[in-house]
Amino acid sequence: MSTADPTGAEPTDEDRKKVRYPFERHTPEYRGRFEEIAGEMHARCPVAWSDTYGGHWVAAGNQEVFDLARSAEYLSNDHDVKGERRGYQGISIPPPTRAGRGGFLEMDPPEQRHYRQALNPYLSPAAIARWIPVIDELVRACLDERIESGTIDFVDDLANIVPAAFTLAMMGIPLKKWTIYNEPAHAAIYTPPHSPDMPRVAELHGAMVRDLFGQLLEIKANPRPGLVDALVHAEINGASPTDEDLIGVLSLLIGGGFDTTTALTAHALEWLSEHPGERDRLSRERDTLLNSATEEFLRFYTPAVGDGRTISADCEIAGTRFKEGDRLWLSWAMANRDPKAFPDPNSVDIARSGNRHNSFGLGIHRCIGSNVARTVFKRMIVQVLDRMPDFRCDPAGAVHYETIGVINGMQHLPAVFTPGERIGAGLDETLDALQRVCDEQRLAEPVTVHRSRAKLAE
Amino acid sequence: MKVNVDAGRCQGHTLCAMIAPDVFELDDVDGHATPVDPNVPADQERKVAEAVRSCPERAISTS
Repeated sequence: MSTADPTGAEPTDEDRKKVRYPFERHTPEYRGRFEEIAGEMHARCPVAWSDTYGGHWVAAGNQEVFDLARSAEYLSNDHDVKGERRGYQGISIPPPTRAGRGGFLEMDPPEQRHYRQALNPYLSPAAIARWIPVIDELVRACLDERIESGTIDFVDDLANIVPAAFTLAMMGIPLKKWTIYNEPAHAAIYTPPHSPDMPRVAELHGAMVRDLFGQLLEIKANPRPGLVDALVHAEINGASPTDEDLIGVLSLLIGGGFDTTTALTAHALEWLSEHPGERDRLSRERDTLLNSATEEFLRFYTPAVGDGRTISADCEIAGTRFKEGDRLWLSWAMANRDPKAFPDPNSVDIARSGNRHNSFGLGIHRCIGSNVARTVFKRMIVQVLDRMPDFRCDPAGAVHYETIGVINGMQHLPAVFTPGERIGAGLDETLDALQRVCDEQRLAEPVTVHRSRAKLAE
Repeated sequence: MKVNVDAGRCQGHTLCAMIAPDVFELDDVDGHATPVDPNVPADQERKVAEAVRSCPERAISTS
């Protein structure tokens, strides 16, 4: 890696961009040809220039993505929505039409680090472990709602609900509000801008942001523990964050916490249904296989498929000369299928070893909710394996996102199974009971204040 | 075998502690890893080797 050309000559743009690939990830064709496109880029151009979306670099190779993502000194996540700095456009390519800063994922240090330091004690492995009884009870109630019927939609009836209600619990927002947040959080991702449904989705999204703003004001006036409270009191570069920045950060937590975990869970359950022998093996050998299977589903289905960056200083990384202001797409999804890093990359091996996937990103922007995602995913999977061990998904009813340019998600995943007996209260009653547990035990305090595990009444 | 976690590289992915929970401990606040003891017991060497191969940030080394 170097910043200066030893000959002193400035490379021409044509020279710098001679390795090209027409990269268009926002079409259904990209989803259909994903393995072929990834294979082609790995073999021919692990870093390439694409003229799409105003022109940007695409990194697909595992080593190249690693080298680039870790070069924080030459990369910026900044989204300069008001044109106050260098006009950088954040992590979306193309930039979103709804201009707003995407929280600390669209910031650079030190601000980015200050936000993360405020939130880490709520989201660390030790902090999340305290919540496992609550997560298990949410999963139990979701499954009880369907257990007698022998039918379930794993997205609508499970994988949407648990991440949503739990994320709100951590934020300090009433759990029963999950319905206000759930649909817009998913629909804003899977609804294409030209869809006739877009006005309805925009309306729902507006209602969500209004509720979020209301919660923010309420928590400012009458503090109650949780991520919202942490942000309200955070010191960011010596100052309090503005309401606008707070809404951006809270929206990031919702966007990051909901759709990605849903996407991972649905894809894993679909795969396990298609491979019943592996499903039974995972259930039987869960003590040794649950961790590796989780990492493998993360690698193979990479819920958040990539992130954009802006080059912040001229540099040469991974054999490519970049110029300040160049846009770059880091494809976690393609890096996760590089045969140089993963033998037989297009197969799922639930016992895979050496699985250094990039699904939570790399470097200073590592997904701050990774411990939430893993824990919630595992708790959902084990209860499904225990209570619906013979589930079979219906391929005709499964709905995958039409495009996977942002999130590799699923909208519906209906399944049938041998009915069983309910073991507890339904979802609404359970949400009320869990709300009392959260409030009485102040579960949403950071681990630095409150260390003990949640206790549920028998 | 001795094991080291480069604190400048570790980002708290937690895979090492998942693979070798007796060797790596995670910070309560940010989940960053440190070895419990830099000297790895012989019966943990295989797990530590797997942790080295699995660290997304390539922050773990052995000597």
